[in-house]
Amino acid sequence: MHPTTLMYTSSLLLMFAVLLYPLLVTFTSLPLNNDWASSHAKTAVKSAFLISLAPLSLFLSTGMEAVTSSWTWMVTTTLDITLSFKFDHYSIIFIPIALYVTWSILEFATWYMHSDPLMNRFFKYLLTFLVAMLILVSANNLFQLFIGWEGVGIMSFLLIGWWHGRADANTAALQAVLYNRVGDIGLILGMAWLATNVNSWDIQQMFILSKNLDMTLPLLGLILAATGKSAQFGLHPWLPAAMEGPTPVSALLHSSTMVVAGIFLLIRMSPLMENNQTALTLCLCLGALTTMFTATCALTQNDIKKIVAFSTSSQLGLMMVTIGLNQPQLAFLHICTHAFFKAMLFLCSGSVIHSLNDEQDIRKMGGLHHLAPFTSSCLTVGSLALTGTPFLAGFFSKDAIIEALNTSHVNAWALTLTLIATSFTAIYSLRVIFFVTMGTPRFLPLSPINENNPAVINPLKRLAWGSIFGGLLVMLNINLFKTPVLTMPAELKLAALAVSILGLLTALELATLTSKQFKVTPLRTPHHFSTSLGFVPAIIHRQIPQLSLLLGQKIASQMVDQTWLEKTGPKAIANATTPLASATSNMQQGLIKTYLTLFLMTLVLVTLISTT
Amino acid sequence: MTPTHFTISSAFLLGMMGLAFHRTHLLSALLCLEAMMLALFIALSLWSLQLDATGCSTAPMLMLAFSACEASAGLALLVATARTHGTDHMQALNLLQC
Repeated sequence: MHPTTLMYTSSLLLMFAVLLYPLLVTFTSLPLNNDWASSHAKTAVKSAFLISLAPLSLFLSTGMEAVTSSWTWMVTTTLDITLSFKFDHYSIIFIPIALYVTWSILEFATWYMHSDPLMNRFFKYLLTFLVAMLILVSANNLFQLFIGWEGVGIMSFLLIGWWHGRADANTAALQAVLYNRVGDIGLILGMAWLATNVNSWDIQQMFILSKNLDMTLPLLGLILAATGKSAQFGLHPWLPAAMEGPTPVSALLHSSTMVVAGIFLLIRMSPLMENNQTALTLCLCLGALTTMFTATCALTQNDIKKIVAFSTSSQLGLMMVTIGLNQPQLAFLHICTHAFFKAMLFLCSGSVIHSLNDEQDIRKMGGLHHLAPFTSSCLTVGSLALTGTPFLAGFFSKDAIIEALNTSHVNAWALTLTLIATSFTAIYSLRVIFFVTMGTPRFLPLSPINENNPAVINPLKRLAWGSIFGGLLVMLNINLFKTPVLTMPAELKLAALAVSILGLLTALELATLTSKQFKVTPLRTPHHFSTSLGFVPAIIHRQIPQLSLLLGQKIASQMVDQTWLEKTGPKAIANATTPLASATSNMQQGLIKTYLTLFLMTLVLVTLISTT
Repeated sequence: MTPTHFTISSAFLLGMMGLAFHRTHLLSALLCLEAMMLALFIALSLWSLQLDATGCSTAPMLMLAFSACEASAGLALLVATARTHGTDHMQALNLLQC
């Protein structure tokens, strides 16, 4: 085996071994010591990150990609499935970033979940999730990817419902499972079509063998899978509801890793989508609608975690738009940079929430710039990176996407929506910073504001370095697959920056109006639309069960059971015959003697007449 | 009318008059019913003898079987009447007539 491939494969094997060892320790019946979480789990992830830097550096210096097929899992007459790992540009760059972010989140979680008696179980769940995510990202065939896909779905369910005594948490976990399941139908449709038409689930074989086939149906299935897992419009309500889980869960699953799994699937399958204009247009319009709708919903939320969740959803829509522009690598870049600043935003939220004694409403925060300076600074850096401030992490990916959007022959409506959503990003980011860090405190005086724990400071510091330099580092070291358009009118080049600054100025103006009564009777309808999340959860979560129950009642019970099997069958005979029988018996009065006498007399008459 | 024809017809008619003009007991009506059946049996038996028609030889047996069923049904009704009304007097059966 070539030494580079050997290095890749052995690094991945070592990573899995390092990550699985703490989990295997928990399966023995020995009781865990109290700091198992920090001594074993966090150290395992840190070691795995350092191990993953080896393939990364090798890839950056040689640019070599590899595919490893090892153990033959199943051999059927037509389909072979082997354990197969793909070390390409996407997985080699994503795995270190995911491990870096997870390391920071686990260290933060040792502080955040310190008072939880089941903290070790929490870390076990997070580690299991991480292993499933790595399986998903490094999979070379769809079967292995599906294993990772389902794994992250289940761990998401378990982690969202962590505080399962709370009914809202259980509802949110159920929503996550149901919406992901609808997406899984699409994935299974795609897999079934590919297995029956292309006869393989290996990525390389699929790409070659599907050159001349019409791939619309499996691509629609894969887009449905991405809609479910990455919370695109239509299957999006689970993502804001998933904020019921603890903040480390939100930071890891629902900002950096799990929700990008759907986009990652589409990026892996992008060669199939290159020539299919239907699929590309669908991705574009769906992504544009998602990013606009969720940015609108984020404008008026009052829970800090919900604002960040909608921000995640909006950025996922932007990634979907990028895929619709046939630029999968830019979407991947956005995944990588987004992981840094979004995880940091969630960790800052977690620090603020714990500091204010579990207060999550931004209307009851304020003035934290002086009281928790480090957290506020990280919040500001993260928000600036999110809005695409030049030369921070988000700029390199987001600006590249907007430029590609502006210079391609694309749906003008999708373009408009994306630009408006970009300006909304600036608006709600400023709203968060204004309410949380600026102004005067609106919380109780005796709040345990303490950010001096190194378990809080170090993760935030690491992610802040990532948010500032991550984009630059990634961009400097990769080769772009598609040549970007480098010449465009100045207005298009500055479009992203211009709309963000416009949004920022609007938000500043609105922020100064919070202490003045601008309108005597405010316009409440758009506010209600935005706060109630577009009424989508309120309508859909009631309408669909009601339709199902009505269907059950009308068709199963009333139509089949009562009508066909009772009234038109056995009871019909009884209901038709009973009136006849009662009429007949009412007519006969029972005067037998009279009847018989008359009968006799007529008989005698007949006899006499016949004989004479 | 031949004497045989007259005899059987008059036997049948007499039985029917007894059935129609019964006064008190249901049992006497049932006995007259049996008499009618007997007359019909004799008539059917003489039919094949007088007309030399061997094809109708089985008719009397069938007739007898059905009359036995009918007699048993009548007796069951008599027993049921005796159980519900206490007697088999004919006046008792008309009590609840509307």
